[in-house]
Amino acid sequence: MKGTTMSTDDATAAGSAAGQTDQPAFDTSRAHQARVYDYLLGGKDNFEADRAAVDAWLEVDPELPFTVRSNRAFLGRAVRYLTAEAGIRQFLDIGTGIPTAGNTHQVAQGIAPETRVVYVDYDPIVLAHARALLISSESGATEYIDANVRDTEKILDQASRLLDFTQPVAITLLALLHAVPDTDKPYDIVATLLDAVPSGSYLALSHAGSDLLDADKHDSLMGVADRMIQNKITYRSREQLAPFFDGTDLLEPGLVRVEEWRPDPGTVTTERSTLWGAVGRKK
Amino acid sequence: MSIGTPGDDHDDRPDSGPVELSAEATVLRMLLGAQLRRLREAADISAEKAGYEIRASRSKISRIETGRVGLKIRDIEDLLTLYGVTDPPERSQVLDLARQSSTPDWWTKYGDLLPGWFESYLGLESAAETIRGFQVQFVPGLFQTEDYARAVTRLGHQAAPAEEIERRVALRLQRQELLTRPSPPQVWLIMDEAVLRRPYGGPDVMRAQLRHLLDTARLPHVTLQVVPFSHGGHAAASGSFSILRFAERDLPDIVYIEQLTSAVYLDQRPDVEHYLEVVHQLSGEAMTPAATTRFIEQVAGET
Repeated sequence: MKGTTMSTDDATAAGSAAGQTDQPAFDTSRAHQARVYDYLLGGKDNFEADRAAVDAWLEVDPELPFTVRSNRAFLGRAVRYLTAEAGIRQFLDIGTGIPTAGNTHQVAQGIAPETRVVYVDYDPIVLAHARALLISSESGATEYIDANVRDTEKILDQASRLLDFTQPVAITLLALLHAVPDTDKPYDIVATLLDAVPSGSYLALSHAGSDLLDADKHDSLMGVADRMIQNKITYRSREQLAPFFDGTDLLEPGLVRVEEWRPDPGTVTTERSTLWGAVGRKK
Repeated sequence: MSIGTPGDDHDDRPDSGPVELSAEATVLRMLLGAQLRRLREAADISAEKAGYEIRASRSKISRIETGRVGLKIRDIEDLLTLYGVTDPPERSQVLDLARQSSTPDWWTKYGDLLPGWFESYLGLESAAETIRGFQVQFVPGLFQTEDYARAVTRLGHQAAPAEEIERRVALRLQRQELLTRPSPPQVWLIMDEAVLRRPYGGPDVMRAQLRHLLDTARLPHVTLQVVPFSHGGHAAASGSFSILRFAERDLPDIVYIEQLTSAVYLDQRPDVEHYLEVVHQLSGEAMTPAATTRFIEQVAGET
């Protein structure tokens, strides 16, 4: 069965995407994060500018493919834990990206078919794929909201049509907030989202770590980002990430490199990612 | 690259035709190799044993299956037999692909004949993992009912004898079998509202066709979207096309554009990416699959 879709689905998407919001246009002249991830994960929905940015990035940070794969694997383990062990049946996945194998609803509904998943992204290429292709299980439901993470009011309002905010919700913000500079108040965004969900809810977050790579590498990468990538990127240190989890208790092992967060038994990694990751439980 | 209109936009390179066309043969050889590998693995036969069958090494089989080298038709026939592929249509599909991939000028022989270029499309279509596209005029061939297919075929071949019309209709219906095979491709098609409104074959045929579209849209691997007249945007500026994507990471997407007397294939990245961009924009402009279903029901009521 196809997933249910937002009640806005009678309209075409153009009305909401064009002009009235701060969503980017479908622009292939600069790299977009969703398409860069698609390329790094082996997909074919990417464009020349995306590949050029990745190539330039890899010259400075050759472990980027490992970082991206590790982030995806962290998502899988976190969602599996939250569904199978923490009993979560509602997910708010912000920064969905282009659907690939092991999307949140596939992992969660594979364990608990009744799980409801609301995806949020603002990239037009994600919109096209998500509206058309995110397919849900029989009893669960999957919806998609076309919104910028900065627009928490819109996200919470629309998500409340599918999610019951009196019951625990897992909010996932993976490899997303480094695209939100301090001037756009990322801490307020997370606090607002956490305020909307009850005690016993969860926050899963991963974020590029400024203290996980050399200062000169960092500067070179920022040069690549400024030249070639559509949005500004802000690396933050482990210390700077801690306040995102205010009001939560971090699950073991705390805030670690994403590949070190509860790795599957027998996993051997020789590479190291540049992403911090953690899961916190709201007090 | 262009087939059927050779060299139309590459006049700066005097020999651009052969160079580019050999790239087409490469794609076909890679597809042939990928199909042979799938068949071999389905039959649970090692590369070593397959190599022994045609007096070749294991590494030669690997080179064949990645499309780096071709092989003789007789060897392919032997491999198909070893793999338990005995059904004549299934064998001939692989063999046709082999002939096309080993004949660098297959398009000049068939370029002006419908069966030639269309058969090569069928080979590509059946090998695709994802089929995307946009249709402005007709219900996509994969979704046509027999009566609708007959009506549009008659339009295109008014002087043809009834027997030929029926063969063409049968071909179209046979093509639809890929929707119900064990691992079907993901089919994601966008149609202009005009497709729903123009009643080829008359209102009865069209109503049945619209109901068939609704049934098809329920398949889990099928996504159907309609761009309504009320929306201008890219739908107004684009003609029909399809984009075929293959599971093999190294194979490029192929854009296919059908013309009255020939077809154009594009597999150069800048060309393909232009269409990839358009199809994504169209999908964003189109109604969602759920709204599309309701819309088709509404149009069926008005037809």
